[in-house]
Amino acid sequence: PGSERRCLSVRSMKSPAVVGVLCTDSQGLNLGCEGTLSDEHAGIISVLAQQAAKLTSDPTDTPVVCLESDNGNIMIQKHDSITVAVHKLVS
Amino acid sequence: MGCCYSSEAEASDQEDETKRLLEPAASPPNKVLNGAEQSYHNLPSARTDEQAMLSSILAKTAINIIDVSAADSQGMEQHEYMDRARQYSTRLAMLSNNLMHWKKLPLLPSLTNQPHQVLASDPVPFADLQQVSRIAAYAFSALSQIRVDAKEELVVQFGIP
Repeated sequence: PGSERRCLSVRSMKSPAVVGVLCTDSQGLNLGCEGTLSDEHAGIISVLAQQAAKLTSDPTDTPVVCLESDNGNIMIQKHDSITVAVHKLVS
Repeated sequence: MGCCYSSEAEASDQEDETKRLLEPAASPPNKVLNGAEQSYHNLPSARTDEQAMLSSILAKTAINIIDVSAADSQGMEQHEYMDRARQYSTRLAMLSNNLMHWKKLPLLPSLTNQPHQVLASDPVPFADLQQVSRIAAYAFSALSQIRVDAKEELVVQFGIP
């Protein structure tokens, strides 16, 4: 299980331009992270995803929260009990 | 671990939170516990480690406990009370000048100085959104496969005859 998690974050990081990955549970516990996203971001990321989910009453319609910046985006998606954030640079 | 704004690097702040504001003026009243401590000195000097540990735990608790029922009931005069209140408020005033010491809020990686430029530019590529959804689904399925692999009995019987 530990090696699967590590595999997942390493594989995500192999994708070009991905500079950070973070996985958290619904309470902000950091389940694993790499790169620009770290332990201290887990709480904010989980809360952002939860708050965004309140925007729609359709439980199957989970929004992707995007934090857009000059050179990259942080995309946050909740999937059931876990939330994943990906920090990806744009050229 | 846990919720927003918590982290593992918190240890030093907790000491500040429990530090006394004023130095204790008189020795704290703990007549009951003093008696108990003295009785320990009468024990035979050959203490087992367990007794030494127990007495050190007792001593630590005695230091931390504030026994309200055993407190001296001599009370404070009006002027002492006013004095003390004034000491507390001056000390608080001193400390509140130093309250810039809020823990630094954890920041997400810094985003932009030019929001209008970011807003005007192309939206997040749909392929990226799909990629993130895929990663999230994959992570969820990987985590849901974590299970306990019980190899041994959890409860064993000691061989007590």
